[in-house]
Formats: sequence, structure tokens, C-alpha cells
Amino acid sequence: MLGLPLVFAAPAVLAALGGLAALYWVLRVTPPRPRRQIFPPFRLLLGLDPKETTAHRTPWPILLLRLAVAALVILAMAGPIWRALAGGGAKGPLLIVLDDGWAAAPGWERRIALARAQAEAAAKAERPVALAPLSSGAQEIVLADGEAVQARLAALTPAPYAPPRDPARAAVAAFLSAYADAQISWIADGLDFGGGDAFAALLQGASTEVAADPATPLALAGAESLPAALEATVVRASGPEHGVVRALDARGRSIGEAAFDFAGTNQARARFELPVEVRNDIARLVIDDERSAGAVWLLDARARRRRVAVIGGGASELAEPLLASTYYVTKALSPFADVREARPGTPDPVADLLSEQPSALLLADANIAPADHDRIAAFVQAGGVLIRFAGARTASAADDLLPVELRHGDRTLGGALSWDSPKHIAAFEPPSPFMGVKIPDEVTVTRQVLAEPNPGLPEKTWARLADGTPLVTAAPRGKGIVVLFHVTADTTWSNLPLSGLFVEMLRRIIAQAGAPAVAAPSGPVANAALSPWRTLDGFGALGDPPATARPIAADFVGPADAEHPPGFYGAPESASAINALGEGAKLTPAAYEGLRHRAGGLTVAPPLDLKPWLLLAAFVGFLIDTLASLANGARRWRFARAAPLALLLLIPPAPPVRAAELTDLQAATATRLAYVVTGDAETDETARLGLAQLTRTLNQRTSAALADPVGVDPARDELAFYPWLYWPIAANQPQPPAAAVARIAAFMHNGGTIVFDTRDALSPEGTVTPQAQWLRKLLAGVDVPELEPTPRDHVVTKTFYLLDKFVGRTENGKTWIEALPPVDPNDRTHPPARAGDSVSPIVVASNDLAGAWAARDDGTPLYPLVPGGPRQREMALRAGVNLVMYALTGNYKADQVHARDLLERLAR
Amino acid sequence: MTAPRDQAAELAARLPDLVVAARRLAYSLMHGVHGRRRAGPGETFWQFRPFASGEPANRIDWRRSARGTQAFVREREWEGAQTVWLWFDRSPGMDFRSELSPQSKRDRAAVLTLALADLAVRGGERVGLIGLTRPLAARDVIDRFAQALAAPGAAPEALPPLIALGARAKVVLIGDFLVPPSEIEARMTSLAGEGVEGHVLMIGDPIEETFPFQGAVDFLDVGGSPQWRAPRAENLKAPYQARLAAQRAAVKDTARLCGWDFALHRTDASAASALLALHARLEQAAA
Repeated sequence: MLGLPLVFAAPAVLAALGGLAALYWVLRVTPPRPRRQIFPPFRLLLGLDPKETTAHRTPWPILLLRLAVAALVILAMAGPIWRALAGGGAKGPLLIVLDDGWAAAPGWERRIALARAQAEAAAKAERPVALAPLSSGAQEIVLADGEAVQARLAALTPAPYAPPRDPARAAVAAFLSAYADAQISWIADGLDFGGGDAFAALLQGASTEVAADPATPLALAGAESLPAALEATVVRASGPEHGVVRALDARGRSIGEAAFDFAGTNQARARFELPVEVRNDIARLVIDDERSAGAVWLLDARARRRRVAVIGGGASELAEPLLASTYYVTKALSPFADVREARPGTPDPVADLLSEQPSALLLADANIAPADHDRIAAFVQAGGVLIRFAGARTASAADDLLPVELRHGDRTLGGALSWDSPKHIAAFEPPSPFMGVKIPDEVTVTRQVLAEPNPGLPEKTWARLADGTPLVTAAPRGKGIVVLFHVTADTTWSNLPLSGLFVEMLRRIIAQAGAPAVAAPSGPVANAALSPWRTLDGFGALGDPPATARPIAADFVGPADAEHPPGFYGAPESASAINALGEGAKLTPAAYEGLRHRAGGLTVAPPLDLKPWLLLAAFVGFLIDTLASLANGARRWRFARAAPLALLLLIPPAPPVRAAELTDLQAATATRLAYVVTGDAETDETARLGLAQLTRTLNQRTSAALADPVGVDPARDELAFYPWLYWPIAANQPQPPAAAVARIAAFMHNGGTIVFDTRDALSPEGTVTPQAQWLRKLLAGVDVPELEPTPRDHVVTKTFYLLDKFVGRTENGKTWIEALPPVDPNDRTHPPARAGDSVSPIVVASNDLAGAWAARDDGTPLYPLVPGGPRQREMALRAGVNLVMYALTGNYKADQVHARDLLERLAR
Repeated sequence: MTAPRDQAAELAARLPDLVVAARRLAYSLMHGVHGRRRAGPGETFWQFRPFASGEPANRIDWRRSARGTQAFVREREWEGAQTVWLWFDRSPGMDFRSELSPQSKRDRAAVLTLALADLAVRGGERVGLIGLTRPLAARDVIDRFAQALAAPGAAPEALPPLIALGARAKVVLIGDFLVPPSEIEARMTSLAGEGVEGHVLMIGDPIEETFPFQGAVDFLDVGGSPQWRAPRAENLKAPYQARLAAQRAAVKDTARLCGWDFALHRTDASAASALLALHARLEQAAA
């Protein structure tokens, strides 16, 4: 209606508005009907001069007011509903184009809600609806009835990649040519991954409405392992300036977090300065509060841990591992690199090791067999790092896989036959990558091989001795580098391998190694397809790959697509990661020029029935009119008498009040359970019924005598009266104000127990559900102790019943509770129950406990259970009993295990 | 507007109520008034008194005197030969009650008339309704008057009919006296010319005096047919009230010219006070 989100339940009534003109005419043209008054002294009046002959007309404000009142009443009777999604008046079919790439995931619920509301409105207007998710591509778009579309919308999930627009464009074009009168609602993600302009141009002509969020999601477009830190690249098209990237390990635990700041640009870097050992555990990076596959960057073995293949010199090393030339090197590399050595007895160690795709190949004074030479040269050409150590063999027979030309033989310093003393290492100079490393004084070199003083030698020298002779030289070759240590890898020529300097030098060299040379085409391994192992869903949660996922070729690098969703491919121990965005990708905002934008973006506010408010306004106007008339002296008692009647008719519906209002005295004189009123009517009613049933159970089975449960509002009510607070999380409700959060914190601090119930156990593991996000946000300012999934020997599992888990409507969710102090390893008593010093102030359940407890007054349960059965309901009640008894009795049961010892001691 | 005949019927229907109201009103004043209480020409026994010499001997009441040695004279109570004629206006104009008043003017006039009749009869006078009854001295005068009022008859006039009342009679006229003053004067002077002593009670509705109208008002005569529209009634208040005052002054002057007295009564005031005042004046005049 007039572009407003307003519809009428009974639009026919609006025809009565036409009567307003007539009313105006009547009110305006004819004066108010004169009062008829029988007057016995009529004769006396005759002949009096009335002085003013103009008719007494209704004053215009009164006229306006009355017209307004009449109009309001008519409007109210037409049943106006604000923000109901209009059918729009169009008669043609409605096509909902839904962008369902990863970029749609953060606001997915709102998108689906909007689409559902639009489909419902269209179904009400008896218009056919067609749904075209972008990921369906070129599939033909078919019309369906409202129910089918609703079912399809309910089943839709965002795709973890950015679906291309071109196939969808063809499908939409086909649809539009078939139904020229179609109305299009494009629920867009606001990003352009190519083809967006053409797509927008296609929709240009039709009556299209674009619904998009002003802020587009952030995404991760790469992570770079630098020597000192891991840097993640965050990109955006628009959106928040700051944020936090979190690093998670393979099990989803947070290892570290790094802030980023766009500073006005659209690319930012988040820097994780973590020890390399810890860095190597990072399995994925996640942008906080961004729930999408694009906000997850998976790190595979290539990215996070340099694999170094180490090849020693002689066969005797196997027998004497401590004397092996590679001993110190492997020790120095192992903190930050994955050291691979040839398995004993391998016929072709070099080929074998290179097939594992190392980042670097380290040759400790080994001669390169002619057969291996080409392989190694190709490895270096493709970007590998070849690190060689000199030695007796190298000194005698040089090959061309060296950065510099070597002089034949070696040089001894400070030996029995030499005048020189052992040389120290000179300070590093550019372009050495070792710049800034402190050189210990005790490092000395006694033997070395020497480079021919060819031109360009200084540029190739990374480290030199005090007399200027090169110690470490390096030269690029192809994409790779060849590095030569002019000393041995063991301590025979220098004590460098014994120093920390050695470790640091190796670390810097390995850091020079880029991603491993996956492109190295050698052998049958390269062409083998890697089958998907774990893939991301659109929300960025890792899970089993969908049936449509296909193996990737080993050289597949590009961004994920429909057949290759982002995730890990290949064998679990050497999986390759494919990400939603390509390395270094940028996000471009989509241009919707010329398209009509939907007011309010994606928000679908619940429809508001305006009828009571209009009637109230009409009534107020009516009262004003009456008062004005009374003040005017005209006695309109008829109206005044009608007023109370009208008042009765027009009383607007009262806002919902709290189920129980207790005075502080009442609250303080009885123990009772309490639940937090979330504002979501269904949740609150469930909580009320659930706690009522739990209270009945507690009163029957335990010695606790509890009064009826009560709903509390932490912003208003004093919480100190309640020992136990149940808080079902309703993510669609606004966060409580800061004052309420402070009260919650005080409640927890003062010994109260809050049971939060996220009720999200059915969502896939690893996802951050909206409820969890809501709870996180709520508790951001609260001092929450460290939590752990309830251990089986926690006292809360023993307070009344012996339980092993806390089930509710679901039974697979974890219940988190304050972490207990670790078990003393010297304690051999193995107490059956452990407890901390106090009752846990917080319990976070996810199994929808109240939903399982809730029963009607006659005892019939309100909701079905998953998987179900009376046993589960009983166990849910037992879980509730235990949780309440835990709050009421504390560690009593944990102390109880010592009762026998105490009694014995007393008897003695 | 109803026809006069219907009006009479309506009045008759209301009479039982009015009779009760009149009786109650009369009784409420009973203690405040008393009869002549002195010897005089009459029929009822008043007292015995000792015979005084020189009196005519036929005055001696022998029956009483025979019981003793002294001669007694039987005295009868003095009975005034006065007749009180009552009249109230039963014209349609009187059948009006505004929302400011508890009673219509006619009902009030009827109540006052009947109550006054009762009081007068108790006071030993004969009371008659002008044009309806002969003078009565019966105890049930209220009922008899009511019967007379209820009987169908010609349309009542707004002024008392001209019939011979006899000299020395008293007349009480109750009405709104809104007809032109010349008519009133003609009727009253002709009544006064017979030597009748009169009392005029002018009844008015409060709305007639306060004139609380605003805005457009269609004024209707009691008959309903003539209609006069006042677009701004509030402008008429002052001239109307001036005219009303003039009318009252004319009636009052006429009464004074005739030697009668004049009083005003509003239907929202208490009927008892009006009755008391009227009765007191009646007594005063008789004394």
C-alpha cells in the first residue's frame, strides 16, 4: 500500500473512506442540527433581533478532528497490519532469487526468514512462487506453491563457496521470458564475484526489489607464514573496521587471537606472533563473529609446517646415529620443521623423499648421484630450497648444485699445521636473511671450503667469517634457492652446530622456503586425485564432505567451487586445504544501480496489528472532541454518556505481564527456582512449565521444599533471593542492558548458580550457533571461570542421582561447568566424586532441559524428545534434580565420601 | 403536541400521584396552621359560657343549664362565610418541564391547588374550583377536586373563566401568565370588579428564566407548529430576559391595581414553601 509495508485484513472496509467526503460535506455545508426546544414563553421571543444571521458552523479544528476520528475508525476496521509483507498488488508470479554463497551465511537466518515471509505473503495473495538459489546454477526455475517453497527454504543451507552468477543468469532469463509479469525479490549478499553487473542488468527491467545488508561479510584471503609470525589477510568490501582473527587447532580449540584494523582500506592483516611450535598446531583461522566459510582459512600441512627432507652422507650413520652427520641438523630443525629422513633400506632415498613434497632438501655432505641430480635440480627450479653442507666429500668432488664455485680442497684454521687461530663469525650484512641474529662469541670455525672469488660473490654471501671468507652462500636457481654452508653439519669443522645460532640460521632459511613445490611433476603421485576428507559447510563448520564433493587434482589450487567445496583433501596426515577464497582474493561490492532497494534490508520485523492503536487514537480524538464541546458550553451529553461504552469497546489489548509478580518479602521467605524471562513467549512458557514440573519432582523426591517457580527479569528484579536461575537462550531477543549484566555478574559472584541453556545440541559440532554467539556476547563482560565439559567424577553427577550426563530434549549436547582443579597425581585414593572449593556459578547446557521437563498440568509432556522415550524424560528430570541439589547442597556429597574415615577417627 | 382532550386524560392519569403529593404537602403544613378558633356564627359547637343578663333568653342552652343552677349559653364556632375560589392554568403551555426542573408547571400548579384546597377546608372555608365545582367544605375535597379535574370537558383556557364568584370571595390564580398583559389585565380587573380579593402565583420553569441556550436553536411553541430559529441563541439571552421581566412586571402591576397580591414560584423550588406563603397570605387576608 503506497510503498508502505502496510496491508489490510479487510480492504473492502476502506471503501467507507469515500464516505468521509460526504461526511465532510455534511459537517461543513449544513450547520449542526439546531437543537429543538419547546419554549412556553415563545411569544416573548418573537420579534427579537438575533443580530447574527450566519449559520453556526462547526469550527474547522473540530471538523478536522471529527473527520480524523471517522477516518481512524474506518482504517481500524479495515484491519491494518504494519510491516506485513505485501503481495505488492502485482498479479504475476514471485521469483525469489536467493544468493546462497558463503557471503550469505552470516545473515542466513534473516535471509531465510525474509524469503519465507515473502513466499507466505505471495501465497496469501494466491500468486505462484519460484525459488532460485544462486547455487542451483542453470537448473530450470519452476513455479511452486507456497508450501513447497517453504519446505525448500527450510532445507536450504548456504553453499561454502561463491556460486558463479552466469548459469543462474541464464536460468533467470529463461524464467523471465516465460513469465514477463514476474516480480522479483533478490535477496542479495552484496558482493560481486564476477558476473554481478550482468546479473543486475538482467533484473533491471523487471520489477525487482533488492534486499541486502549494508555491511558485507569479512573474509580471509590467505595466510602467510613469516619467520616471526603468521599473518592472515582479511579482506572486506564494506563492514566493520576492526575485528579479531582467532587461530584454532585441529580440535577446534582456540590457540591465539590477533586483532586487525582495516584503517580505511579493504585489506588488513592479522598477525599471530606465536612460537613456531604453537603456530604449527594452527589448523584454521577464523574471523570472530563471522559465521561463514569465507571467514575460515584452512591451513594444511604445506602452509603451517615446513617439511625438510634430510639426506645424510654415509651408510655408517645408520649404525652410529649419534655420530651421524645429520644428527645436529635434525635436532635443530625439529622444533619448527617436519624432518623427513629416508627410511633405511630405501633403494632410492632422494626420489622417495622428494615425493613427500618437502619444502627444503638438506644434504649433509652428500654427493649427488647422477640419477638424483636432475630430480634435485627440478625440485629447486620449482621453488624448493636446497641446503647443502660442505664436508670431505663435497670438498673433493663439486657438482653444479652449489651457489658458488668452490676451490678444490678445504682450508684449515687453527689446526696443528696452521698458523691461524679458529675464526669467529663476522656480523651479518644485508642482504643476509640472518640480519639481526645475535652471534655468540664462542662460535668458531676451524675448517671450511672456500669459494672462488668470482664476481658477485659478496651478493651471494649470507654469512662470512671474521676474515671475510664466506661461511654461508646462497644463490637463487629457478624459483628456488641453493644454500651452502661452507662447514659440515656436525662438529668436526666447527662448533656452529652446537650453538643456538645454528638453529636460528636454519629457521630463517626454512622460512625462506615458500609453499612446497607441489607443482613438481615427478612420478605418478602428482596426477593422483585427492578425495575430500573434511569440508566446510557454508557457515564455516568442518564436517563430512557432501555427496557432491569430488576429488581434486593434486595441482588444484584455485578457490573452491560446487564440486570442490572448501576443506581438506587427501589423506588426513598430509591433507591439502582448499579455501573458499583464492589466495589474495579481493572482495568487490556489488553494484545494484538502477534496482529498487527494499527498505529495511533483510530485516523482517514481526507484523504489528495497528487496529487497537488506531482505535485508541480515535478514542482519544473522540474524548478531545467531547471535552472541547463541553468546554464550548454546548451540552453534548449524548456523547458523554456514550463515552464509557466506547471506552469499554476500545480498551487496547494489555501488554503481557509477568507470570508472577512477587514482592521481595514473598520471594525471600520461600526457596524457589527462577527462570529468566527472555521475552520470547514460547521459550518463557516452556521454562515456566518446565520449572514447575521440576519443582513438583523435587518436592516429591527430595527433602527440598520449593515454592512455585518464578520468572525474573535481571534488569529489574533482585536476584539475591534465588539460589538457582535457569536461563534459556533465545538468540532472537536483544541483549539485556549493561545494568542487568552487572547484576548477573554479582549474582554469580555471590554464590548463585545460573544454568544457561543454549538448546543447540542438534546443530553440527564445531559450528558457532547464534545461541552460543548470544551467550558469548552476554558473558563478555562477566568474570566467567574456566569451564570444562562436566567430568564423570564431578560432584554434580552425584548430588542426588548417579548420572553420567545431563540429558534434555536432546542427549548429545555437552554440559559445561566450572573446571575442577586437576587431580593430584600423587593422590592414590581415587575419590568417586570431586568438587571444587565452591559451587560452580555457571553451568552451560545445550540439551534444552526445560523442554524435556515441561509438562501440562495433567502431567502430559509438552514436547517430544530426541531420540525419545520415557526413560530419557526421567533422566532429564534427574539431571534437573541433580543440578538443583548441586546448587542447594554444594560439595556435601564430595565430603560424604570421607564420612567413614571421619567416623573411624572419632571412634579412636 | 397532544390534543387538549388527551391532555385532560393525561392529567387525570397523573392525578392519583398529584393527589398523594398534595395530601402529603397539606399534612406537612397542618401543624403550622390552625383554624379560626373563636366563637361566631356557625354550626359546630364551640363552648358553653355563663349567661349574661340582657341577652336574649332564647340563647340559653337549657339542656346544659338544667344540670346546674347557673344558666349557660351554647356558643357555636364562628364560621366565616368566605369562599375560596381556586384556579390553575391547565392550558398546554403549562405542560412543560425542562431538564432543570423536577416537575412540570401544571403538575406543580395542580399540587399546590389541591393542597391549598385541603388546607382551606381544614381551616373551615369552602373551596371551589372556578368553572368546575361549586364551593365545597368537604373533608375529601382533594378527591372531589381530582374527580372534577379528571372529568372531560372543554379545552382549558390560559386565563380564569369569567363567572360570578360573589362578593367577599377570595380567589387564588396559579398559572404562568405568559399571555399578553392586556388580556390578563382585562380578565383580572373584571374579576376584581366583583370585589373579589385575589392572590396571583406566577409559576415559571427555571429554563424560562435562565435561558441557557447556545448555538443554533429552533424554538417551538407549545403547540409545536410555529417555529422560530435562533442561529445564535446566546445573543438572545439579554433581550429575552428583559421581555420576561417586563411581562412579570405587567402581571404584578395588574395584580396590584386590583389590590391583589402577587408571588413568583419556580418549579425547581420547593412546593411547600410556596404553599406555606400562599396559605399564610390567605389567612392574613381573612383575619
